[in-house]
This record gives sequence, C-alpha cells and structure tokens, in this order.
Amino acid sequence: MSESADKIRVFADYTRDFVEQANIAVVGSGPGGAVVARELASAGHDVILLEEGPPFTPADFELDAGLSMARTMREGGLRTTRGYIMPTMQAIALGGGSLVNSAICVRAPAATLETWCRDFELDHTSRADLDPHYEAVEKFLGIALTPEDVLGDRNLLFRKACDVLGYSSEPISRNVRGCRGSGECFTGCRARAKQSMDISYVPALVRAGGRVLTSVRVQRVQAQGRRVTGISGQVVRPFTGEASFSFRVDAKIVVLAAGVMATPVILQNSDDLANRSRQVGENLQFHPGVAVAGIFPDRTNPQFGATQGYQSLAFIQEGFKLETLWAPAALHMIRVPGLGFELKEHMAEIPNAVIWDAIASCNRSLGRVRARRRTMDPLITWRFHPDDVLILRRALWVLARLLFAAGARKILPGVHRLPDEMHSLEEARVLRDHELRANDLVCGGNHAFSSTRMHGDPRRGVIGEDGRCHDLENLYIADTGILPRSPSVNPMHTCMALAHRIAGHIADRL
Amino acid sequence: MVRPMPLVWVLLGVLVLWVGMRIFGGYPLLLKPFTVLTRREYAFLAAAADATFPRGGAIEPSGTDAEIPRYIDRYLGAVTPKLRFLMRLLFFLLEHATLFFPPGGPMGLRRFSKLSADAQTAYLEGWARSRFFPRRLVITSLRSILTLGYLAAPDVMRQLELAPKQIDTPICEADLLWPRVGEPRASIRYTPADLTPPSDGTPLDPQGPLHSAFERHET
Repeated sequence: MSESADKIRVFADYTRDFVEQANIAVVGSGPGGAVVARELASAGHDVILLEEGPPFTPADFELDAGLSMARTMREGGLRTTRGYIMPTMQAIALGGGSLVNSAICVRAPAATLETWCRDFELDHTSRADLDPHYEAVEKFLGIALTPEDVLGDRNLLFRKACDVLGYSSEPISRNVRGCRGSGECFTGCRARAKQSMDISYVPALVRAGGRVLTSVRVQRVQAQGRRVTGISGQVVRPFTGEASFSFRVDAKIVVLAAGVMATPVILQNSDDLANRSRQVGENLQFHPGVAVAGIFPDRTNPQFGATQGYQSLAFIQEGFKLETLWAPAALHMIRVPGLGFELKEHMAEIPNAVIWDAIASCNRSLGRVRARRRTMDPLITWRFHPDDVLILRRALWVLARLLFAAGARKILPGVHRLPDEMHSLEEARVLRDHELRANDLVCGGNHAFSSTRMHGDPRRGVIGEDGRCHDLENLYIADTGILPRSPSVNPMHTCMALAHRIAGHIADRL
Repeated sequence: MVRPMPLVWVLLGVLVLWVGMRIFGGYPLLLKPFTVLTRREYAFLAAAADATFPRGGAIEPSGTDAEIPRYIDRYLGAVTPKLRFLMRLLFFLLEHATLFFPPGGPMGLRRFSKLSADAQTAYLEGWARSRFFPRRLVITSLRSILTLGYLAAPDVMRQLELAPKQIDTPICEADLLWPRVGEPRASIRYTPADLTPPSDGTPLDPQGPLHSAFERHET
C-alpha cells in the first residue's frame, strides 16, 4: 500500500480544494477510460485517471438487487429515457459498467464494421484494422469462451433449443478467469473471477505509475482556442453525490471516457465544446432488449451457471442477437404478471424457469442527450421507430419458438394486450401475428452508444478515427459514445479495442 | 335572508377539513419508528405489500411478514434526495388516487390503505391493466419496489431456493489498493502477504452452504 499511497485518493482522503498536474487526464474508469489510461501509463506517460464513483470491495457488494442498484447505478438504477419511456442503467463506480455487467466480450461482426466504414467515411475501422486491438485486450483480460462446467441448465437448454431449430449458437466470450457460475455478475462478482476494470486495468495502471482519483465529478473541460488545458469539478460523496471540495487538473491531453450520457453533458457544460458539427449528444442509440421466461417441467436452477453464457448470432442480419440471461430474481419478477396469490404462484415457478433475451440493433430509433441546469444528470430523449418495433416482435416470436423447442411447458412473454401465459407454440403465434405497439413491450435500454460519434467528415461527427475531437487539438473521447452506430453485438469489447487504438495514437503524438 | 357567501365558505371549510382528514387523519401510530418512512407512508406500503403478497399460497410469508416497508425504508435511505422525493410522491399518488380511479363498492372513494383487501387488489389490478401507458408505468414502479423488498427477505429466498450461496472471496491486488466505500486508504488491512490464489473455476455447489445473511436462525 505504501508504494501506491500517493497515487490513489478516495473520498475520505480529500480535505480541501486541490489542483493536480498531469500530461494526460483520463475522465472515467470504465472499459474505455481504464484501457486508455493503462496503455499510456505503461508506455511511460504521466497519467491521472478520474472517476466519479467509489471503488467497491467485495464487502461493499449488496446481494439485494435494489440496494445494489441504488449504490452502483446512476440515479439509483431508475434512470429512464423520455419520448419512449425505457429504463437505462449507467454505473457509477470504479470500473464503470464492467463492475456490474455480464462480462460479455464479443468482436463486432466484419459486415457491421464494413457498413461503419462505408456510411461514416472511416478508412481504418474494418475488422482487420481492429483485430490487433481486440487481441491485445483479450490477452490482457484473459477473455475466453464460457467453460462448459459453469454453463448450468439455463445455458445448456438454450444450446439444445438452437440445435433443435438449426440455429447457430456458441458459448459467449467473457473477461472472466475462474468463473464459478454464481450468476451474480449484476451485483458484483464475489468470486473475483470477473475481470472488471477495477481489478484488472486500473491496478495495472497504478503499477505502471498512473494516479487514480475516485469520487471526483468532472464538470467542465477548460479550453483556450483550439486547445484544452485541463478539467475541473467537485469531490462528491459516494452514493449521495453531495458535492464538497473543488478541484482542477491541468493536463496537456484530456481523454473523456465518462460514458455515453456523461461525456456529452460535460462538453455541453463546457460552453458547448467540440460541437461545431452540432452532433454532440445527438444520434443516441440503444440496444433495446426484450426477454421471455419459459417454465419447464423440471427444475432448472436458473441462479446457477454463467450469468450470460450462451448466445446465437443467427439473426444478426435481421437486426437482433439472442442470449441467455440471469439477474437477481427480483428484477425478473418485476415483469411477471398478476397480483396476490397469482403473482406468488408465478414466483414459485422461478426454480423451474429460464429467461432468454434478445437485443436489437435499432439503427432507425434515435435519441439525444442534453445537459440540464444545476445537475449533471442528463435529459435523455429517445423514440422507437415503428420498423424497429417489428424487429423486436420477430425476436419475441423466435424466443418463444426456442423455449418450446427446449421443452418449456409454458412461456411468459410479458407483452401488454397479449395473454400473460402461453402454453403452446400455437398460442404463441399471436406474438408473430399480433400488431404490436412500442408501448406494449417491456423493454430495457441496454448498451447506449453514438452520442459523440466517430465520423470521417468533421461536419457530421465529433471525433475522427484517432479518437481526437475534430474541433480541438488535444481532446479525445474513448467511450461507447464514439461508436458511429450499433456494433450489432455487445459493445464493451469494441469500445476497449477502440480505446486501445486511441491510446496508441496519443502515444505516437507524444 | 340567507347570504350566499358564508355558505360557500362553510362548504369550502368542510371540503378542506375532509381533504385534511383524508390525507393526514386516522393513521395509526408506529410502534417501531422508521428512518425515512412516515406513519402515513407505512400505512400505504403495508397495505400495498399485503395486497400484492397476501399471506399463504405458493409462498407463505405476506408482504409485511417479509418486512417490505422496512426494506423500503432502508432503500429510501440509500437513494438520492431527488429519487426519494419521487418515490414518496408515487406512494402519495397511489394512496389517494382512489378518488379518481375508485375500485368500486360502497367505500371505493376511501384512501387506499382504508379499502378492504379485495378492493385494494381490484384497485391495483385496475392500474396494472389500464389502457393508459403512464398508469401501467406507475403501478410497475410500485410493484418493482415491493417485489425487490419481498425477494430481499431471507425467508422468501430460502423457500424459493434462491438464497445466495457462501462463496470464498480471494484476496487480490485490488484489495491492497481500495478501502471499503467511505473509509480512508489507511484503513486497508491487507498486505501482499495476504494475497490468496485466484478462483480456480470450481462450479458452485447447488447444495452448498448458504450465505450467512440467508441462513435460518433459530429463535
């Protein structure tokens, strides 16, 4: 500890306003920021990493879903979009979303990256361009396919169903070493198997000489002309967000990796910095997800097995990806129908349940992020395009087919205006044939991206392929906001690969 | 000769009294005080918890057996002031919206916590099945917090066989760097000599011992 004592500060260590100097200041310790910071520190640069949330130790993890969300998520986990009202979660913790996500690390399909290059005038973002960066991250984090031993019935039944219907499927690659299949990714991995940033890249950053400030909320980027000179903000108390001391970090280069929602808010708060294109906060996209529960005749023990261990990419061209899913039971039960004894009967069936989900690349459904007065919480507006609702309707039908193919005796689709329970594929056909409206669906806003998108044309995007803002000489962005559109799969791995590449560009400049 | 103005004032006074009584009057005192919840909020949450999770059926404990209001008290203490305010607004709205969406029956206009058990269920069902999306959203929010509370109860989790298992947590490099939330770095008690081997990937035993917080304690 003594060696790192002057390199790390947590909330209790701050006693007054302060100013720091660094060559490179990285804002945000999620998968984007942690990778950039560690790579640059390893190359011998003077790096300071700033994180608004606190570090969590296993003793700080709450097994209860509500209290866990209240502590690890922004707005207590109850953040929603406007326009179409949909929950969306962003973490506030050292390690960002990697602390509470399912550790899915999937490379974006080559075909998707080709469309990025074509539609966003990118010359060096093909799969071949990104593969070395994917590989570097995979090597560092030990990313590997979910082992057979910890799949559990929930994942194995999914594989069986895909085999029966002839859909391709595979174990999911994850940044996990020694998974025990506790299904607790969402509330923090007590086995410390998940290689979240707080136990992987950030300690490596400290080892390489980097500094880490936690519980600091960056509010502004300081700029003079086309150069930024640093950042400023306030120390904030963990969980309550109550502000105390002020701070400033003077830096030669600033990298914003505060997340899809926070990065545009910081820029808008900084006199609308980097926004000559008028694209900051625009083009917001999600992977809206729907889930269907299947109830089986025998016990499935859904709480055991890798949280999300199996997937099918068979429908990527149609715009959706299928996955297995687990989270604390309370979160699944929120969408179970009924009240009173009926609700209890449904709950008692959980030990025989599996839950599978689909996430959709809704490229026509766009939104925006706007700063609000007197708060750093963003105003998020997003609307469902009717054609994208059709994608989710199709996904629901495919999920129903899979569940019955695996032997489910009934399914709970959780769709308004449709029966709560369906006992056969025949009954489930209504999912395929019924005219669904967006408000009939219970959707989660997974994986946000594109609010500060990368584009070869400075008039149509915020950053270039090197991660540098078009308008400024020394401001970079490295979170999933830079993805020009959906990567078709879970975005964390692509974010880390791009961050790895951006670190290389910055190192070359220095 | 009757002057109209005093009558209007009397009627207005009666109305204000009625509204005041409806909102503030007749709530039982609390035997055990809460950190955040008021007795009015407790009355609403206890009624809502038992309407959503009545005693008996497929899982024995009721909402109040599972101490949902106490859970919500703790939850409200953990969230930001803004969120706390919104949650309380939600409780207030549902407690008194019987005026606008009465569940039927002779006493349908009473506040929610004063309705009969059947009327409470019918009222909540009315919100859940509404054609109006915001109403469904409101009841989903309430049901979510009640469900979180119900499934936080060790008794319920044991009955469902979903109680978390005991897991040995390895001590890793990060434990030498970060203290517990809120503690200073000086409180870190680990040294490099305390590091233990990382997880070996042995699958968790479904029959293994429960996490200590979920073990049954004989009284």
